[in-house]
Amino acid sequence: MEPKLSSDLLRGHTDTIVLAMLMNGDRYGLEIYNRILERTGGQYELKVDTLYSSYKRLEKGGYITSYWGDETQGARRKYYRITDKGRELYRQNMLNWEFTLKILNNLLKEEK
Amino acid sequence: MDTRKYIDSLFSDYEETSALIDFKEELRSFLDERIKALVKSGMDENEAFKKATNELGDMSAVADEISRKKKQEILAEMYMKTRNYMSTWRIALYILCGTVFGFGIIVAALSGFFTGDINASLGSLLVFGVIPVLGFLFLWLTQETATHEPMDWKRALMYVIAAGVFLFGVIVFIITYFEDSAGLPYAIATLIPFILPSSAFGAFLILTEKDRSKPWVKKQREEYIKRSRERFGDPAQEERFGLFSGALWIAAIAAFILLTMLFGLKFSWLAIAAALIGQMLILATFTKTK
Repeated sequence: MEPKLSSDLLRGHTDTIVLAMLMNGDRYGLEIYNRILERTGGQYELKVDTLYSSYKRLEKGGYITSYWGDETQGARRKYYRITDKGRELYRQNMLNWEFTLKILNNLLKEEK
Repeated sequence: MDTRKYIDSLFSDYEETSALIDFKEELRSFLDERIKALVKSGMDENEAFKKATNELGDMSAVADEISRKKKQEILAEMYMKTRNYMSTWRIALYILCGTVFGFGIIVAALSGFFTGDINASLGSLLVFGVIPVLGFLFLWLTQETATHEPMDWKRALMYVIAAGVFLFGVIVFIITYFEDSAGLPYAIATLIPFILPSSAFGAFLILTEKDRSKPWVKKQREEYIKRSRERFGDPAQEERFGLFSGALWIAAIAAFILLTMLFGLKFSWLAIAAALIGQMLILATFTKTK
């Protein structure tokens, strides 16, 4: 049997994924998109609307901010930067995830 | 296709707020760069455009957050789309019915003038008047409008039959009345086979009629009921409001009659004006408390 990626499960963590991408520096929209595609080996059919919904949600909540870059050539890019509130949310979400994963694994194990 | 045009078409339903303009620019740079990367990886331009736009998904959720749908679009959807419900063959039939009806009126008038006999007019009305009226009835019942769903054509046909028999009965009644000098008893007798059963059938149809309002109309109505309920607070208060209003208007009508008899119409209208003011005051006192 071939393992298949559960896109739904990933989609539920879009906010945390975006925050993770921003932990080590500002990035622009397509950059984040490309990195997600790379890291999932093209397995994840991420739609752009999912990503932008997440940006807008996080920005509204004050977890990230955005600014236009000053590219001298080519199209302008909009960059996203994580805020302190965003870092805190990321750490909290990671904790939640690890905790949930442990319990989920426990639940999914065959009963003996 | 130009990415700018494509994005403009995606958000054409939304109000052009500054936030949306900003987002459109961001999305355009996203798309352009994505397409460039795909082309670099060996795709031809059209293919790359298709793939990149396909990857966008449904942007309406994001757009809803950023901007509002144009108000006039929603209004147009509700009220202005009547024209779309009018198909060509319907328009043709409406016009045909109208023309036949006009023709019937003219022929009836002419034959009345030339023969001096009312039965000649009635005879032509029976053919050229009743048929287009029934046609109008059928078209009207099966017409979908902005507020109503169309009636099922079989049911509409039953209405047409009932109306047809009724109208036939009316004309037969009139013809019989004028035909014989001892007309009235005979004429009344003709009510039994035509007007009576068709009225009964028509009443049955009307009483068993279902609400054909469109969902948005029903919603609007519910909202209106809810709002009026909220306005009055509780049902008892609404009842009191009704009683007060009733008493006010009975008094106003009595005053109107009395003033008309005493001073004439020149002054008695003041009673109605006073009642209107009173009604507004009652409404104001009943709706202000919560």
